[in-house]
This record gives sequence, structure tokens and C-alpha cells, in this order.
Amino acid sequence: MPAAARTYWLTSPCRIRRKDESLIIERDNADNVHIPVTDVRDIVACAETDLNTAVVSLLNRHRINVHLLSYYGDYAGSLLTSDTSTSGETVLAQARAAQDPQAGLAIARSIVDACAFNVRRVVDRKLLTRPYAVLQASVKTSTNQAQLMGAEGTFRRSAWEVMDTKLPDWLQLAGRSRRPPKNVGNAFISYVNGITYARVLTAVRLTPLHSGIAFLHGTMERQRHSLVLDLSEMFKPLMAERLLLRMSRRNQLKEHHFDRDTNQAMLSDAGRKLVVQTVRDEFAVTVAHRSLNRNVAYDELLYLEALALTRHCLEGTTYKPFRIWW
Amino acid sequence: MYVVVVYDTLAERNPKILRTCRKYLHHVQRSVFEGHLSDAQLRRFQSNVESVLDLSYDNVLVYTFPPGATPQRLEWGAVEPAPSDIL
Repeated sequence: MPAAARTYWLTSPCRIRRKDESLIIERDNADNVHIPVTDVRDIVACAETDLNTAVVSLLNRHRINVHLLSYYGDYAGSLLTSDTSTSGETVLAQARAAQDPQAGLAIARSIVDACAFNVRRVVDRKLLTRPYAVLQASVKTSTNQAQLMGAEGTFRRSAWEVMDTKLPDWLQLAGRSRRPPKNVGNAFISYVNGITYARVLTAVRLTPLHSGIAFLHGTMERQRHSLVLDLSEMFKPLMAERLLLRMSRRNQLKEHHFDRDTNQAMLSDAGRKLVVQTVRDEFAVTVAHRSLNRNVAYDELLYLEALALTRHCLEGTTYKPFRIWW
Repeated sequence: MYVVVVYDTLAERNPKILRTCRKYLHHVQRSVFEGHLSDAQLRRFQSNVESVLDLSYDNVLVYTFPPGATPQRLEWGAVEPAPSDIL
């Protein structure tokens, strides 16, 4: 990943314009800001954003992706630069691995297992011991992707219940609901998941992998980047669940951070800013990597994960999905 | 590395150098820019700036700080907020 460049987060409605071969952000309620193009790695637009052809061609020249989150905070789409690291060989190897029922299923199994491992690690090791054992057993016996997803769903449901016991009343999830999220807890989770998804997409685009060929999620079913859904699975608990628990313990989340209606909830402007700031700082946290012998930011873990999968497809090294090791 | 750039040029060349600086750094005062650059970016910046300057009259100062260090900033008066990546 480019070292001297940052992700920019747009949290209020704005228009991106091109000026002097660089970018200018125009907002209604605040001053215009010039941002240097060379300092931008990618842009996450969390609020309504306008841009035009001139901007897109500049972004393309500097290889900058723009990720757009919708009004309710779920992933709406991306403006991606034209492919940089194309490699037919990798895509073919990836397709072969995904089509081979044995190899593909093995990857899907390890992804589900790693995801559940991370959820348990983050939420509650003790209370989730049994559900995790049940999940491991059903992962072993399942013979297709649908069964795996079912097993994961069952595990997730018990995990959400355990989560609720640790959250104050007003933040409780009462089951996962999306599009739109039914309550504030779900609104938070959706939002952070959307951001994580976008960042994983940026990471995948740095490798020659095809973002549509997946191992766990249906490859052709949706117009989404299924591979990104697969890869973001392990990182969602690291960001969403963990941050929700932490921020509620620290009393950082307040009622005014959310806008609530009868059957839906979303982050307010203040809340959005707070969450984006927290997530941004969290992505910059580093941990000691055991095989690289150096500190690695969470951000870079996403990229390393995509690289590991590339290596699996091309060289046949066993793919071990990301598990929280610290 | 963190970089602070200060320039003093003939008024008619000011817009040109301003435009070049904006590509790489954050504008913090009329003729002061700052931000993170990699070594390669700094070299590219230098050659871009040189091509618009009259080296016999204009003057550009670049202060660099070792990697990992961000200089402390003391501020008085009507200050531009420090460049942020959350907008």
C-alpha cells in the first residue's frame, strides 16, 4: 500500500471538484478545502457527494477509488479506477479453485470457522464456547455453501444474544436487522460493516484477484463483489462488534448520536463523525505480526489477507484466514 | 516524512507555485504549506517547483522532519485548522 497517502472521509454533504490538477471539497455549511491529490489513497464518502467527469479522470490518473455509503449507512457502491494489476493467470487459478468443489469448500469452511472464532474472541469467550463447538461440528459435516452459511447464521444469532447482555438497554440489538436497521445498535453495526467492506474492496483491487469470484458467498448471484464479502467476514467482528462494545462501555455513544424513527434508526451527523473518527483511528492501530517480524496496521491486514488468498490460488500454499491472535 | 514548505516569489509567479504546492501539500497560510510526503514525492515536488521558478529571484524553503515525527504546532490568531482527513 502506498505509504505517504491517507484515506479521506467525507462526513457532510459535499461536492468534489477538480482545481489546479488537485481536489477541492465544497460544502454548504463550511469552507472549501483543498486536498492534495498525492495525499489521497482512497475516499470514503459517508454523506451525499457530487462529482463530475473532470474529477473522475483525475482520480483515475492517481489510482484513487471512491467508496459511497448510502443514506442509511450501508454500502451503496464505488467508483473504481480501471484495473491496475491485471493478471489472467491469477484469475484463472482463482476460478479453478472456486469451481473445484473440494478446494472451494475447504476455503469456505475455514472462512466460516475463522469468522466465528473472531466473533467469539471479541464478544465473550466463555459464553460462546458451546455455540462455537456446535458450529465447528456442523462446519465439518456440511457439504455445500448454503449449509455453511446456515451454520454461521445460527452461531451469529447466539452471539447477538450474548452481545445484548453486555449492552445498555437503548443500544441492544434484539436480532440483526438491515436495510434499514431497526434500532440504534443495528445502525452502528451496519455503518461500520459498510466501511469495512469498502476498505477490503480497496485492498482486493491492489491484487490481481477478481472481486466477483467468491468461495463462500454465491459467485454470480448478486451484483456485489462477492469475494469482498468473503474476505470482509473475518474483519467485521474486529471492527464493528468490538467497537460497539468498547464505545458503550466507555459511554462514548449518546442518544444524540442517532436519529430514531418508529421502526428504523440511523446515525446523526454528530454520530457519523464520531464513528468515522473512531474507525479511522482503529484502522491505524498496529499489532506485531508474527511472520513478518514487524508491526502491521489493521489497515494493512486487509491487504495481507488478499495477498494470502492470491498466493493460495497461484502457489497452492494453504490459505489460513485471519484470526485475532493478540 | 513531514514537510513544511515556505515560499517567497515574485507576485506574478505566486499563483503558479501555489497551484503546484496544492497538488502535494495542505495550504495553511498564504505562502506556507505542510503535509506528509514520501521521498519520491518530495523529489517530484522539487522538480515541479523548479520548473515554474525563476531561480535567480525566487526562493523556496523546505523543512523536513524525520519519518514518524510530526512537529508540534503553536497557534495564535485566526488560524486555519490543521489539515484533517475527516471532512
